[in-house]
Amino acid sequence: MISVQGLTKRFGAQTAVDALSFEIPAGQIVGFLGPNGAGKSTTLKMLTGMLAPTSGTATVCGFDLEREPIEVKRHVGFVPESGAVFESLSGLEYLEMVAALYAIPEEAARARIRQFIAFFDLSFETLTDKLLGAYSKGMRRKVVITAALLHNPPVVFFDEPLDGLDANAAVGFKALIQTLAREGKTIVYSSHILDVVERVCNRVIIIDKGKLLLDGRPDELVAAHHSGTLERLFTQLTGGSELERRAEDFAKTFRP
Amino acid sequence: MIAPPDAKPPVIKPAPPPEVVLRRLFLKLFLRGRSSRGLRKSTTPQSIASKLALTLAGYGFFGFIVALSLMGQPLFTMSLCLHSATIVFLGMFVASSAGEVLFNKEEADILLHRPVAPRTMLWAKVRVLVEVSLWLAGAFNLAGLVAGAVKGDGGWLFPIAHALSTTLEALFCTGGVVVVYQLCLRWFGRERLDGLMTTAQVVFAVAIVVGGQLPRFLMQFHGFTQLDVHTWWVSLLPTAWFAGLDDALAGSRSENSFMLAGVGLAATAGVLWIAFGKLAEDYEAGLQRLAETVSRPRRQRGSRRWTDVLVNAPPLKWWLRDSVSRASFLLVTAYLMRDRDVKLRVYPALAPIMVMPFIFLLQPGGGRGSGFENNFGVAFAGAYLGMVPMLSLNVLQFSQQWQASDIFRVAPMPGPAALCNGARRAVLFLLALPMLLIFALVTRLMHHDNSALLLLLPGIMALPVYALVPCLMGEAVPLSKPTEEAKSTSRGLKFFGVMMISMAVSGVAYLASATGWFWWMMLVEFVAVVVAYLGMRAALTRLQWSPAE
Repeated sequence: MISVQGLTKRFGAQTAVDALSFEIPAGQIVGFLGPNGAGKSTTLKMLTGMLAPTSGTATVCGFDLEREPIEVKRHVGFVPESGAVFESLSGLEYLEMVAALYAIPEEAARARIRQFIAFFDLSFETLTDKLLGAYSKGMRRKVVITAALLHNPPVVFFDEPLDGLDANAAVGFKALIQTLAREGKTIVYSSHILDVVERVCNRVIIIDKGKLLLDGRPDELVAAHHSGTLERLFTQLTGGSELERRAEDFAKTFRP
Repeated sequence: MIAPPDAKPPVIKPAPPPEVVLRRLFLKLFLRGRSSRGLRKSTTPQSIASKLALTLAGYGFFGFIVALSLMGQPLFTMSLCLHSATIVFLGMFVASSAGEVLFNKEEADILLHRPVAPRTMLWAKVRVLVEVSLWLAGAFNLAGLVAGAVKGDGGWLFPIAHALSTTLEALFCTGGVVVVYQLCLRWFGRERLDGLMTTAQVVFAVAIVVGGQLPRFLMQFHGFTQLDVHTWWVSLLPTAWFAGLDDALAGSRSENSFMLAGVGLAATAGVLWIAFGKLAEDYEAGLQRLAETVSRPRRQRGSRRWTDVLVNAPPLKWWLRDSVSRASFLLVTAYLMRDRDVKLRVYPALAPIMVMPFIFLLQPGGGRGSGFENNFGVAFAGAYLGMVPMLSLNVLQFSQQWQASDIFRVAPMPGPAALCNGARRAVLFLLALPMLLIFALVTRLMHHDNSALLLLLPGIMALPVYALVPCLMGEAVPLSKPTEEAKSTSRGLKFFGVMMISMAVSGVAYLASATGWFWWMMLVEFVAVVVAYLGMRAALTRLQWSPAE
């Protein structure tokens, strides 16, 4: 479903993504992990056609990213980390605008929006009357997730999707993506909440400084590295060891 | 229930095409602003649409005065003047809105991964710019349309011809801005786009103001009556091409009019072809540039920033003793130097202010001469400097990161006085002072003696008071309001008021200098300024935070 070969992105002298290669078949939920500045968001932006790669190739649903960017965009959904929306539109106006960009007829769009509203426990009045700028962070995130899934894309990229969601919505969301994967959708899930990734994803890709570090099933990787949890494995790989001791030392500096 | 066999399947209304969806979206965003603060849909349109209505009424009134003053002129001259004024404010509007509309950073995360071709997005944005431009142009030219229709050498065809030529003018203007941006992208690359966009916008704003004033300036040499379609230099002015179209369709219908009209049509078509036919593909590259989040490495790693050096050395060290004022000074300096959004708002807004005094200085007899004779232009340049801190502080309060200003209210400060003081000093030091030096240099070069420089003094002396006005009106807390509130029409009225005061001060200074009372006037002004300054500073110090929304 997704095929990445030697994908590279440079910003001047800085290499954000360095010759990344991997394949993701349909129906997988892939945790895409890395420390801050590892190149996760840049990779996702390239795979959704938002950024042009410096070199390398990628295909999504069989469409080449460079030659057929519009087709790629038609087949993917994306929840960006920023959760940006047009704040001066109401939720319904925003979702209808997004639906129209994917050529979903108005009636069908409304019906689908109602399904999402019911799923996320949003009220239709809030969606029609309140502007997005007045929404809480969690409500806004629900609208952004809805906007990513409205056109029923076969591939969905999530960049920190749980940011702002309350516990109930987060549980519902995790169940949703597992069901979507069972239905054959490909999910790429980038997050720093590693215990969620460990529970939800059937594969993880860990990158650092733009390079691929590990790729495999979470339980197998944890077992192979004798780390106990994915979180410990991640800190071992990305140089985050001794963090607890450093935090303790730092906290001591606040003593009067 | 089973449907009868001859029943037609339900008609599914297809989704409108992307260009229509995007045009509606961008128009809505333009009218409502891009961000909102807890507003409901039912109340939001009032915020900007009502201001727009007031703006249109203002333009209508201004256009009425202009049309009235041109009633006695030949049709071509009247049309040329209307087009010149139109191109100034259309250009200013397009130049100031283009950065936000064409290259909006927040938009990248929302729209760049949708299946929309860059050309479609660009065209939708340009349509909105042209549409709003035409509302403004329509309001301004309304009285002119009637005046042209009832004039002896006009007729019923004039309104149609003028509407057509004004539409072409709006397309020419908007296409011109798009071409400037696209060429910057193509020639200088995406990495330098941020800095170039500001430069391009400033250059465009200056070119438009100068271009718009040029016919008036040249007419003062030739006289209105000698000006017609046969005047050789007229064909060099874009506004004359569009006036030529009016004259060709509804006026003299001379060969030269048709030639000018032809040039206008060809130039507009050429600009649009370059903007949308040749360069539109680069647009996506520009948007992608904005989607890049990787920070560029600092150029002088290890060395102290020049701003730190500046504030830690006299005289700024003495001027910024208070830590909050110093922090505010550094914040404003950083945003004036680095932030694309702020730079695109501040510098294009200041560009016409920079140009207007030069136009006064360069008018026939306006600034030249010896001693105090005929020096109104110099006095005006000095008085006009007051606009710099007022406008800058007013514009600097808006930012896309306005929510970060919550930190000001969280910090243990009773009111915004210290923040306002830092911001005020930053604009005085970084913007007003360099402009003052430029005006003084130009004046000195034109007069070859120092006596004319004295006429700058009344304006300079009033600067501290001018700079305190936005502070007392609660408009000088830097980066504390959302950007859509910048689209305020009341600001235009305020600055119109300040301009009138500047004109009055410069008029008084000029008269006082001509009658030998200059130093007495200076003494009176000095006392008035000191009293006003002390009173305003005391009021500012007592100022409390306004309730947060």
